[in-house]
Amino acid sequence: MGIVGSRDRSMRYFEDFKVGDVIPLAPLSIGEAEILAFARKFDPQPMHLDPEAARRGAFGGLIASGWHTCALAMRATAAWFAEAKVAALGSPGLDQVRWLAPVRPGDRLAGSFEVLEMRPSSSRPMGIVKQRLEFRNQAGTLVLSMIGTGFFARRPEPAA
Amino acid sequence: MSGHRYFEDWRPGEEIGLGRWQVTAAEIKAFAAEFDPQPFHLDEAAAAESIFGGLVASGWHTCAMLMRLIADTPALMGANIVSPGFDDLAWPVPVRPGDVLEGHARVVDKRPSASKPDRGLVRFDYSMVNRNGETALRLRSLVLYRRRPAATLAAAGGGAE
Repeated sequence: MGIVGSRDRSMRYFEDFKVGDVIPLAPLSIGEAEILAFARKFDPQPMHLDPEAARRGAFGGLIASGWHTCALAMRATAAWFAEAKVAALGSPGLDQVRWLAPVRPGDRLAGSFEVLEMRPSSSRPMGIVKQRLEFRNQAGTLVLSMIGTGFFARRPEPAA
Repeated sequence: MSGHRYFEDWRPGEEIGLGRWQVTAAEIKAFAAEFDPQPFHLDEAAAAESIFGGLVASGWHTCAMLMRLIADTPALMGANIVSPGFDDLAWPVPVRPGDVLEGHARVVDKRPSASKPDRGLVRFDYSMVNRNGETALRLRSLVLYRRRPAATLAAAGGGAE
């Protein structure tokens, strides 16, 4: 059976969230090789791809693609889903995504997931959670923030 | 002449095609393994039992594909400074192996920077559309563009570039 049909008591379902919850996400680090590899594949602009050109550019050094930072935020979120057995069912979208400060090689990013709103789906056995995701670097500077929407499975009814 | 388009060159309503991206199962799984290892992005068998009924790309992967199509479109690059972010992103239908996504850009509006006279903010609606005409990704992006340098205009003396 898939996630929806299982009745694993250790799973974290929609019902296990509440508005105001703030879940810290495990920190992760980003290195120069990683920044260059992502840029080569998806965002080949000099500020992400060429340390020399980046040094002379507006940011005074290599910075990660904003999409790379978003992907890392997803990695941290997915790690929490796996660790806490969160019954996550994907996302329809998000809003107000802001790249507030550059992410540089050697940065260590730590995120938080804050539950803003919750409502059950009227058509499917799942709930909809609106959350604020924030990522800060080792200096505490906010580098990324967004308002996300996630689908989470409802806790299955006991058979008896 | 240069392909650079400056702040002054963008017209609201203007549309630009961004080319196509062919999606493969191998790249869906590779992106997922690195950034979004949820079962429906990573494993065909688990994905078949999920609400998606098969392997689907991470939404962030679709965003990364769009970024690459933008980066490969000369009109959009060169005079862009940086993007502060984006709004109203939706993933209305899943992206699956074998999909061919076509990127589209449309200029929404623009305004000069209030604090920095050398730049202005342009808003674009970007989308990725599959072969059934379904939009798999849309978002409204904010991009800062350099203004056309006055010195360049003067030096050109009104002649051709």
